[in-house]
Amino acid sequence: MVGPTELLNTVWIGIIYMIIAIPLTLSYRVTRIINFVHINFITIGAYVGVILFLQGVNSLLLLLPASFLFGAAIAVLNHFIAFSPLEKRGANPVILMIASLGLWIFYKYMIYAILDLGQKVFRTNLFSVIPRATSLPSVSLGNYVLSGHFFAALLVAGVIITILYILLSKTAIGRAIRAVADNPILAEISGIPRERVVSITWALCGGMAAIGGLLWAVFAIATPEVGDALILQIFAVSVIGGLESLLWTGIGAFIISGAENILMSILNATLGVPVSFRPFISFSALLLIILAKPPLGAGGGLPYRFKVGLERFKR
Amino acid sequence: MTLGFDVLGFLISWITLFGTYAIISMSLNLEIGFTGMADFGKVAFYGIGAYLAATITAIIFLVVNGIKCPLHSVEAIVALKKCASKNPLLNIGTFVLCLFVTFFVTGGIGYLISYPTLRVGPAFLGITVLSFGELLRIFMRHFEPTGGTKGLAGIPHPLAWISNPRLRDGIYALVILAIMLLTYLVSERIANSPFGRIMRTVRDDEIASLCLGKHVPRIKASVFFLASGFAGIAGVLLAYYLGSVNPDMFVPAVTFNVWAMVIFGGMGNNKGAIVGSAVITFVDRISFVVNLLFPEAIISPDYIRWMIIGVLILVTLLFKPQGLVPESPMKSPALKIISDELEGDNGA
Amino acid sequence: MAEGSKLGNTQKLVAILFLGLLIGLGAGYALFSGGQLSAGPVESPQPALAEEKVYKIGFTIPLSGELSSVGKLWEKAIYMAVDDLNEEIKAYGLNVRFELVVLDDKTKEEDALKNIQSLNQLGIKVVIGPAASSQVKAVMNYADSNKMVIISPSSTAPTLAIPGDFVFRNTGSDALQAKALASLVSHEGFKNVVVFHRDDEYGRAFADFFKKEFSAIGGKAESMPYATGLSDYASEVAGLSSKVQELGADAVVLISFDTDGANILSHAKDDPVLSNTRWFSSEGIHGASELLQPEMAKFLIKIKFLGTRPVFRENPLYKEFAERFKSETGDYPPVFTDKVYDAVFLAGWSILRAGEYDGEAIKKALPLVAERYYGVSGWCILDENGDRLMQDYAIWGIAQSGTAYEFKDIGSWSAGALTMEAGD
Repeated sequence: MVGPTELLNTVWIGIIYMIIAIPLTLSYRVTRIINFVHINFITIGAYVGVILFLQGVNSLLLLLPASFLFGAAIAVLNHFIAFSPLEKRGANPVILMIASLGLWIFYKYMIYAILDLGQKVFRTNLFSVIPRATSLPSVSLGNYVLSGHFFAALLVAGVIITILYILLSKTAIGRAIRAVADNPILAEISGIPRERVVSITWALCGGMAAIGGLLWAVFAIATPEVGDALILQIFAVSVIGGLESLLWTGIGAFIISGAENILMSILNATLGVPVSFRPFISFSALLLIILAKPPLGAGGGLPYRFKVGLERFKR
Repeated sequence: MTLGFDVLGFLISWITLFGTYAIISMSLNLEIGFTGMADFGKVAFYGIGAYLAATITAIIFLVVNGIKCPLHSVEAIVALKKCASKNPLLNIGTFVLCLFVTFFVTGGIGYLISYPTLRVGPAFLGITVLSFGELLRIFMRHFEPTGGTKGLAGIPHPLAWISNPRLRDGIYALVILAIMLLTYLVSERIANSPFGRIMRTVRDDEIASLCLGKHVPRIKASVFFLASGFAGIAGVLLAYYLGSVNPDMFVPAVTFNVWAMVIFGGMGNNKGAIVGSAVITFVDRISFVVNLLFPEAIISPDYIRWMIIGVLILVTLLFKPQGLVPESPMKSPALKIISDELEGDNGA
Repeated sequence: MAEGSKLGNTQKLVAILFLGLLIGLGAGYALFSGGQLSAGPVESPQPALAEEKVYKIGFTIPLSGELSSVGKLWEKAIYMAVDDLNEEIKAYGLNVRFELVVLDDKTKEEDALKNIQSLNQLGIKVVIGPAASSQVKAVMNYADSNKMVIISPSSTAPTLAIPGDFVFRNTGSDALQAKALASLVSHEGFKNVVVFHRDDEYGRAFADFFKKEFSAIGGKAESMPYATGLSDYASEVAGLSSKVQELGADAVVLISFDTDGANILSHAKDDPVLSNTRWFSSEGIHGASELLQPEMAKFLIKIKFLGTRPVFRENPLYKEFAERFKSETGDYPPVFTDKVYDAVFLAGWSILRAGEYDGEAIKKALPLVAERYYGVSGWCILDENGDRLMQDYAIWGIAQSGTAYEFKDIGSWSAGALTMEAGD
């Protein structure tokens, strides 16, 4: 049944989903691109942490900014070498999605190549590592140990959400980001430098996703496939937020995480559903939510109650 | 060409792959290119088609030869191997039967799936179908009668009675090309018909077409039916080609591969889908040459190979932001009259 | 549609550089290798010596994807093996050299088939790999039709035990290992266990065999499958914890690969119930470097983590190979590395014994070579299905050595008899 372990798991998994999904929603809102390189942000964040950890950097306080910087740098690089030139040539968002697919393939295998070299340098298998970095002490509650990195994750999540909230709602740059997200043409007319705003958004999103990847490595494991394995869940979380609302993305993170842990545990204990059904539960939760409460309204805002309306009209 | 490289074999294996992916690409193009439906779940119908073909073939062969054992067991695999080449008519008959049954079954499933996707709206159609696909895949992993995670193996090839493997593979490649051509003709006919025009209006401005009284939900459902049917047929071809099916072969990554082919080749026209799938499958097959260039490098040559492919996709898109083959105007009778007139003027 | 703007100068330069790189590679290849794409006996460009025959062996291994951590280390063993093989051949006085072509199959079925086809088109008729049973199933038909000998070093699915085909597997069936593991668990005094296994063919088959063997010796085993390919298993471990409590089981048997196993154990470490039960394991997690990190290693020693693995521990060849591998790469040889190493030798000697580079002849020669070959993985004799006939198992655990930790073999299981060292 539902015990403290399930609750704890829901919390940390939900936090990391939230940290990775919010930048996905934000970058989609501002640029309308379904960005495949988001997968690589996660993996890059994880492995920057791993490599520094192997060099002896044991404190999360130092690893977090490092991951953030790398993630942000790659995101901005993408913008300049791929998305910006393509947009200038009149490519529609679908083409940009495929361009990001090409970049994803490139980065994925570049990471493999770097890890291959790293294996020769560090003489240890880098394809599967758990860097238990920490900066806060653990606390024991009876039989359960709340490890230091758990508190660190809570702290990091709190800080990130606060900073993001203040940034987006109180500062000028935040208003600029929201303006570009809602109506790019109007924003540009009213003098907002769209290019710069988009670059800043990319930097934020890439960095945040990288932090999520680092936390994932510390809590779970770092493999070159870590981004690919997570991305479907992250997409599910963003879709619950309708790819629009950051608040609902955050809530969606905990819904999916809760479904995977708590709901799965209940089903397993009462109905004997094997735990190998866990991905089934996540997607069922997603489908139930978007079918019951479509994020953009029923029919995506379009008057699809066609037959019913027609019948009413005939009557 | 006496390079010691089997060029004919390469061409045959490439054409088989290209044909199968071209069919799925054209079906995806019907959805996104003509009707503007961003479907991220194509692999689900591909998988349903493959599983249907594998199951029906295995059942028919085992029943005809009077063998009673679970489809996925060793005995079944060995028995299927033995009776694969005895009765040519049975092989070909099963193949044709599977094609027909699969088209209608997967088409029907596609039609049904269009209902929930209407509820969420066009923006979330992709993720909805993808979720259904994943649900189905995880279900199949646990579904024992078709082998669960083991899947089915030893599926008798429709041409297994031809003993020369080169001839068999070659003829199969030609069969796939024929089916691809058929798909192309059907898709072109649909695209250049009044129904095609309605599809394009749904893509360009859905609200306007609703205002003009077009029954958009029914149009979308019909397109889904056709496209899913074609994807199912491609699945049948795959099942016979590999000779085995397994739920983990049908993951979302395959869908995104097909998306790359459609976008790369150019949305909104069937030639583009074919060109896109040809180029991407060709590059995929020929890229192992990189492995031969860097035999004992510091890093595995496979990594370099895929990095190059990623860069190629990006660079090509930079040069051709609309895809390789841009969309051409619809070939309606009106267009024909006008272009004849114009040519007549120029000629005269 | 918007008119595309002209290419900026920087972009043009970048694009030209990339195209130039590709063209340069192609031209360089064409100029310097001069059509050496062929396999089979080729005259080497030194006519002064007698003709040196060059044979190529193909490999399709997972260098990316789920099994990449294992495949990457296999790659190193493969290069070691080919060098050793060439040295040995020279020592015998034969003027023959083996070369290899390694392709990555991303742990996917379709890619395994594509790789086999590419290798066939290069004229290569002997291929070592693929790793997973599902991949072997996808390449079976093609290999049989095109007469290519496939030697898989790690596929253990019982549904592939098919006689007379071109697929050989030089690793022992898990049916035997399950027996070894069952006798180990029972020897340690446990009668009520939960089998926590991968939900794929390997895990399910192993769990089924284990349950059968374990109940034959009077125990009770409950199986609990977990989905494969996920990024983290905390939720599954929580479920396992509840199940162990519910059934009052006193031990857990883990059937996993290295990455998922390490993740599972790291979560089990923090779970109050699971950190006080005994854990047993199959060979999948042996060699994983995560287990040797101090926290994890201490935990594993505390719960007396024991496992079986298909290795004949008294084999001096294996000991030497493991030492050498560790000193060259810094890592333990992961599972089946010894089988990969031996497969290279089996392939090489079969080609020589067949006398010609022909698939049918090599297929006939391979069982004859294998039955006389004793390598780092022990006696390689094959049964009538082309799979390894005899396999001994070692019992392993984690031990402390100085300030670090290591994997240690502390017992063995052979032909039904279990022997453990004193003190554990």
